[in-house]
Amino acid sequence: MVNAAGTGLIRVKEIYRNREQRVKELKAEGKTIIGYLCIYPVLEMLTALDLVPYRMFGDMDETITSADDYLPTMVCPFLRSVLDLGIKGKYDFLDGVVMAHICDVGARLSHIWDVAVKTPYSHFIDVPHTDRKISRERLKELLQDFQETLEIFTGKKLTPAGLKESIELHNRQRAMVRELYDLKKPDPPLISGTETLQVMIAINSIPVEEGNNLLKEVISEVKERGDDVPKKSARLLVWGPVIDDIALIEMIESLDATVVMDDTCVGSRNFFADVPLTDDPLDGLAYRYLEELKCPRTFRESNTDGVHRGYQADLEARFGYLGDYAKEWNVNGAILQVPRYCDSHGYEVPQLKDYFEQISLPNIYLEHDYSKAALAPLKTRVQGLTEIIG
Amino acid sequence: MTAANIVKGPSPNRPLNRLKSMYELRAYVDKMYEGGREAEDEGKPVAWCMLSIPTPILTAMGVEAVFPENYGTICASSGGAAPFLERAEAEGFPSHMCGYCRNGLGYAAEMADLNGQVPHGAPGGGMSRPTLLVGSGAVCDARYKFFQALGRYLDVPVYIIESPAAGQRESLMEGAYERTVQFLVKEYKEFVDFLEKFLGKKMDWNIIGETQTEKELDTVWWETSELRRVRPCPMNSRDFWSSMSGALYKAGDAKEMTVLYTKMYEEVKDRVDNKIAGINREEKYRLTFQGLPPWHSLSFFDKLADRGWNFVHEYSYHPHKPVDIDLSHISDPMERYVRANHQSLESVIDRDFEPEEAAIIKDEIRKQGYSSRFAAKDVRDFKCDGAFLHPMLTCRAFTAPLYLFQKQIMDVYKVPSLVLEGDIVDLTLFDPVEGLKKAEAFEETMDYYKEVRKKEGLEW
Repeated sequence: MVNAAGTGLIRVKEIYRNREQRVKELKAEGKTIIGYLCIYPVLEMLTALDLVPYRMFGDMDETITSADDYLPTMVCPFLRSVLDLGIKGKYDFLDGVVMAHICDVGARLSHIWDVAVKTPYSHFIDVPHTDRKISRERLKELLQDFQETLEIFTGKKLTPAGLKESIELHNRQRAMVRELYDLKKPDPPLISGTETLQVMIAINSIPVEEGNNLLKEVISEVKERGDDVPKKSARLLVWGPVIDDIALIEMIESLDATVVMDDTCVGSRNFFADVPLTDDPLDGLAYRYLEELKCPRTFRESNTDGVHRGYQADLEARFGYLGDYAKEWNVNGAILQVPRYCDSHGYEVPQLKDYFEQISLPNIYLEHDYSKAALAPLKTRVQGLTEIIG
Repeated sequence: MTAANIVKGPSPNRPLNRLKSMYELRAYVDKMYEGGREAEDEGKPVAWCMLSIPTPILTAMGVEAVFPENYGTICASSGGAAPFLERAEAEGFPSHMCGYCRNGLGYAAEMADLNGQVPHGAPGGGMSRPTLLVGSGAVCDARYKFFQALGRYLDVPVYIIESPAAGQRESLMEGAYERTVQFLVKEYKEFVDFLEKFLGKKMDWNIIGETQTEKELDTVWWETSELRRVRPCPMNSRDFWSSMSGALYKAGDAKEMTVLYTKMYEEVKDRVDNKIAGINREEKYRLTFQGLPPWHSLSFFDKLADRGWNFVHEYSYHPHKPVDIDLSHISDPMERYVRANHQSLESVIDRDFEPEEAAIIKDEIRKQGYSSRFAAKDVRDFKCDGAFLHPMLTCRAFTAPLYLFQKQIMDVYKVPSLVLEGDIVDLTLFDPVEGLKKAEAFEETMDYYKEVRKKEGLEW
C-alpha cells in the first residue's frame, strides 16, 4: 500500500484509529483474513499461503457485556474484551482464527470462541511450556498439523521455498522494528513511546509487506526529525503483556518520563528475534517461537544437565536481556504493568523486581483492569517513580 | 474390613452420611507429609511435586513425593492458610493468584526464614524441605510458574514436565495420539536422565514398567465412582474430596492404597445394595460440582445436604475409566507406562458412547471444534438435577470454562446451574449465608427444569 496520506506517521495514526479498515478492503478484493491472538501463532505460515494475518485486540473503550455470558469477570479483562468484540460481530470480517496455548484463559478462549463466535477456519496450537530440544521437536510436529489444516482450508500447498520467502519477509519486518527502536536510544529519543506503540499496533493490522513499507517510511521520517520529542528525566522501560491502546503510555509520557524501551508483546518482545533460516524451515520456526520469544509463559530450563545453578543464575537466565536493554537504551527506571488476573506475568513480579533491584533500576508494579478509568489513580504512582529518578 | 462389619444405616445427627472407610484412607494419605519429614530426617531426597507428574519414576528413584497443592487444601480446610497467604502477598505476589500456590509460597518464605525448618504450627505437621521441585504443565500454568517462583526461597533445582493439552479437534487429527505418546516417552526418559545425574544413581526400570498395581488402584477408584450413578447416590462429594488424593497423586504405596480403596468400594457397594444414601435426608436433588471446592467452607455442603441436596458427581478430579488394553507386547517399560496413563480422545469417545452417538460426537468435534453432548455426558449419566458452579477469584484454569459448561448442559439436557463465587483457599471470598439463600431459590429452578426434561422425553 502506498503512503496515501503523505507521511508514514500520519498513516500510522490513521490505521491506529481504524485498524480494520485495510483488511476489510483486502477482504473485498478477495483476500482471506485470519485473526490471531498473542505472539505464538506462526504468521509466516499464513503469509506464505497468501493469507492476511490480523492481530486481534480488545477495546478499552467498549464496555464488556456480551462476553459476560461466556467468561466470568475474574479472568483476564483483555481476553474478555476480545471475546466481547467477537460476539458483538466486530470481527465478522475474519475468515478464520489461530490461537495458541498462550496462558490458561487464552487456551480456553480458543475453544470458547468456536462456540460463541464461530469462524469458518479455526486452529489451536498447543505450544509446549519448556524449551528443551524435544519440546521444540514437539512444536515442529504441531506446526506440521497446523500446516495440514491450512492447506485443506486454502486448497493450496505450502512449499518450503514459499515458507522461506515468507520467513525472510517477516524477518525484514523484525529488523526494521529493531531499527525503529534504535531511534529511541538518543536522549531525547527521536520517537516517543506513544508513537512507537501506534506504529506497532499499525503493523499488526496490515499485511507484512505493507507493514514493511510503512516502517521504511516511518524510520526515514523519524530520522529526519529535530526535537519533536522533548527531553525528560525518566527514561523508562515498560514490561508486561499486551498493551493495545496508547492510553497507558500517554499517561506515563504526560509526566516527566519517556518510554524508551519496552518488553511487551505488542512491542519489542515479538520483534527482537528473527527466525533462523534452516534447511527445514519448520525447525527455525519451532526454535524461534519456543526458544527466542521471551514470554513468561515458557519455562526456561537452567538445570537440565542435573546441575543446579541457584537463584541468581536463574534470574540472569530469565531476565538478563532486560539488563541489556537497560544499558543499551540508557534506561533509568522500569514499570511492571500487568492487567489483573494475568497469572503468568503476575508470578514473575517479585522475581523481576529482585532482578531490577540487583541492577539498581528503580521500578514500580502497576496492576490495572484494562480500562481507561483505572489509569488515573496509577498516575500518582508513576509520578512517584519519576521523582525518585528525577 | 469387609462389607459385613461396616456399620450401615444413616446417622440422623448429621445431614451427611460419611463413609467410615474414608477416615482410614484419609489418614493414610495425610501420612504423605509425615513420610516426607521422615525421608528428610533419613537423608533421603524429597520432591515437591505437582499433579500429573509421573510419580512412579520418583518412587523408582527412591524420591519421596510431596504435593504442595494438596497441602494447600489441608491448610485451607484446617483454617491454617491465612498466615501463609498473607506472607505471600507481603512478598509481592498478587492476591488474585492461585490460592494453593500462594499458600505454598508463603510457607516456603517462612521456611526460608527458619533456615529450612518446618514453620511452627504448620497444619498436618508441615511439609519437609524439598531436595528438588517437579512441576508440570498440566491443566494450569500455575503448576510450573509456582515452582519457578519458589526459587526465591528454596535453593533447589526445578524440573518441569510437559503435559500436552491439544484442542479436541486437533486431538482427532490423524497420528496426533501416537505422536503425543512418543513425545511423552521421550519426555519422561529425559526426566529419568535428569534424576540419574542429579541423584547419582540409576533408575530401576522394573518398577516403572509394572503398571498392574496402579491399574488396580485406578480401577477400584473408578468403579467406586461409577456406583454413584444409582439413586440414592451412596457417596457424597464430601467423601469423594476427602478420599481422592491417594488415587490422584499416586503418592505412597499403591498396594496399600488399593486395599484401602477396595474397602471403600465395598462400603459404597453395600450402601447401593441397601439403598443407603450419602446424605441422611431424602435425596431430593442430585447435583454435580464444577470447579474446585471451597476447602475452607466444606460444612456448607452439610447445610445443602440438610435440604436434600446430594452431590453425586464432580467434574474436577473425576476418575476416568482406566485403559483396558493389553500392553504386554510393548517391550519399552516407559512406553507401557505412558500408554497405561494416556488415552486417545477417539478411544475415550468410542468407549463411552454407543457407536452411532460416538460418530456424531466425532463429526461435531471435527466440524465445529467441540461437542456439547460430549461435554454434558456425565450430567446425563449421573442424572443430575443441577450443577453447582464455583468461579474462583484465584483460579483461572477452572473458572474460565464454567459458563460455557453452564450453556452446554442447559442446551443439551436442560440442566440448570447455580453460580456461587468463592475461592479454594481464601475463606474471605465465600459468603455461605448469601450462598444458602441462592441455593434455596435455585430449588424452584431445578423443579421447573425437571418438568421441562420430562416433557422433552429425557430419562430423568
